[in-house]
Amino acid sequence: MKKLLVSPSPHIHGKDNTRNLMRDVIIALLPSLAVSIYFFGFSALRLTLIGVAACVAVEYLIEKYMLRTKVTIGDYSAAVTGILLAMNLPPNAPWWIMVIGSIVAIGIAKMTFGGLGQNLFNPALVGRVFLLVSFPVIMTDWTMPDSWFGSAIDASSGATPLGIVKEALSKGETLQQIFAEHDFSYTQMLFARVGSVGEISALALLIGLVYLLVRKVIAPHIPIAILGTVAVFSGILWGVDSTRYTDPLFNLLTGGVLLGSIFMATDYVTSPMSHKGMVIYGIGIGIITVLIRQFGSYPEGISFAILIMNATVPLINMYVKPKRFGRK
Amino acid sequence: MAKESTFSNMVITLFVVCLVASAGVGGIYALTKDLIDAAKIAKVNSAISGVVPDFDNDPSAEKFEVTTDGKTSMVYPAKKDGEIVGYAIEAATSKGFGGAIVLMVGFEPDGTIYNTAVISHTETPGLGDKIDVKKSNFSVQFNGKNPETFHLSVKKDGGDVDAITASTISSRAFCDAVETAYKTFKDIQQK
Amino acid sequence: MSNLSLITKGIIKENPTFVLMLGMCPTLGTTTSAMNGLGMGLATMVVLVLSNMAISSVASFIPAKVRIPCYIVIIAAFVTIVQFVMQAYVPALYETLGLFIPLIVVNCIVLGRAEAFASKNSVIRSAFDGLGIGLGFACSLTVLGFVRELFGGLSVFGHKLADADGMLAFVLAPGAFIVLGYLMVLFNKAKTKIS
Repeated sequence: MKKLLVSPSPHIHGKDNTRNLMRDVIIALLPSLAVSIYFFGFSALRLTLIGVAACVAVEYLIEKYMLRTKVTIGDYSAAVTGILLAMNLPPNAPWWIMVIGSIVAIGIAKMTFGGLGQNLFNPALVGRVFLLVSFPVIMTDWTMPDSWFGSAIDASSGATPLGIVKEALSKGETLQQIFAEHDFSYTQMLFARVGSVGEISALALLIGLVYLLVRKVIAPHIPIAILGTVAVFSGILWGVDSTRYTDPLFNLLTGGVLLGSIFMATDYVTSPMSHKGMVIYGIGIGIITVLIRQFGSYPEGISFAILIMNATVPLINMYVKPKRFGRK
Repeated sequence: MAKESTFSNMVITLFVVCLVASAGVGGIYALTKDLIDAAKIAKVNSAISGVVPDFDNDPSAEKFEVTTDGKTSMVYPAKKDGEIVGYAIEAATSKGFGGAIVLMVGFEPDGTIYNTAVISHTETPGLGDKIDVKKSNFSVQFNGKNPETFHLSVKKDGGDVDAITASTISSRAFCDAVETAYKTFKDIQQK
Repeated sequence: MSNLSLITKGIIKENPTFVLMLGMCPTLGTTTSAMNGLGMGLATMVVLVLSNMAISSVASFIPAKVRIPCYIVIIAAFVTIVQFVMQAYVPALYETLGLFIPLIVVNCIVLGRAEAFASKNSVIRSAFDGLGIGLGFACSLTVLGFVRELFGGLSVFGHKLADADGMLAFVLAPGAFIVLGYLMVLFNKAKTKIS
């Protein structure tokens, strides 16, 4: 009699695995990467490559020699962290800052907690925030390096629009004066601005968003919740006093809100599991971002906002359970 | 083995313990009071002697308060052989990035800044804390300059001061404090 | 347990920072440099020894129900005395440590040792226990301060190694937590290997 094989479920496998998901994320990031290489030239490419190499190397070394466990660099998650970290840095950042950031991102934020799936905080953001606090001068120097195609944008003062606005507001200028002095055109923001490698083009990031949604890598709840909240909250403030609070469109297009809401906040490990939870998470991020931007001492708040909300995710997961398959 | 916790035991014990403790504290206070006061004066004096030319009087003994434009500053006159060689003015600003900054600015009789010293601040380490001469040479640029010709605001605001990189707000606050000190100085001159 | 082993116990087996995890607030707040950590640790050690000895000698006279207030008053008196002495003789260190000196009164370690050990042991043994735990605390704070100062300011005990700023995160709060966490791991790993 032929032997019948009995094995435990699952018996049907989907095509999802970490590697495929990460590959899709990398593809979604390619438009932004291309734009930044176009405007920043070799520096952007160099920074990204160093980031990927450093993150992968750190994960490999820790897993192979410190923990003596299976090496997981093949799931590309370290590489994605490297790219995202590079996109949060100023294009002129020296190579060693990238390496330190990678060590912090992978070593402290990811491996110390147990590796992929166990980390509480988004590794790329932990790396970025650590660098921001540690090297404030370098991390806020946004002067444009020479690119292959020459500088298509004005290098302005080496500060991002958010930085310029914050400083001028503290001097007592009104927004109308600030906008008259500097050229903050929306077309510029959509296509190209001063900023980090990842901020540089809203359009490229949005293309990435569409790709991720189409490939069903992320659900739209988090980006929509974040962007919606940012728009509504900043809109309310703008309605109250438009000489001191920037308008919603400005808030959506400047800083890392798009990069953060599409690529950082949607990280599976550090975001809630249920759709309702995702919405709560997104709203929280939106509120904190605007609060920091308008009332805090940093010009940009999304990195801190996401990290703060990361800490609340276990709580959200505990109280907002995902719908179980088959239940109403 | 502790004593029984009767009401009278507890009251007596607490009383005795507090009495002995406060006696001990009071005793040490009396012993160290002079040293502590001397240390406080020494701190002010060393701040003063760093910012004005050589003097032979006791500026702390001759200090007086001046109120200019609603701001009160303490002035310590420095004299040599009875003649004024400089004024050390303790001026504050609330416009620091982290809050209040208190400076000691030394002026020569003609208004030239001899030197400055930071008495207290809560600026960000690595950024705004560079107003302290121990961290960077930012404050040295004020020495030997006369505010009549050296405009006390950062270059970005049309003045002559080189701001600290990425710390414009702290730099501006420093200028504001020096400005307050200078206004106080001019007030004294007029009297 | 011999008196000497009381001291080593306080430094290694029952290290207040890395094993007992007491007194975290001053640990995180004063270790921005090795000297600050050492100063804070030594000040706490002095208070520990003196208060342990004092409490040990009067514990039998204090009714159980009022022992905590009495211990606190005694500890507070010693802390105030230490404060005056520091203000008089080392004013610079006093200014740097600031609010943390009076906070020694509420440092769990001091009251904890008084209640757990000093009230039940002889004066001499209490003194040694205070000395051991105090030394352990001082060592941990100095090590923590050393690491933070090295990475955060590129200096060792106040002497700069290079003309640049280090990684500022280490001299700020986040660095304190991170370094403390890793030091705890290393210390406990070493401790298990030794024993």
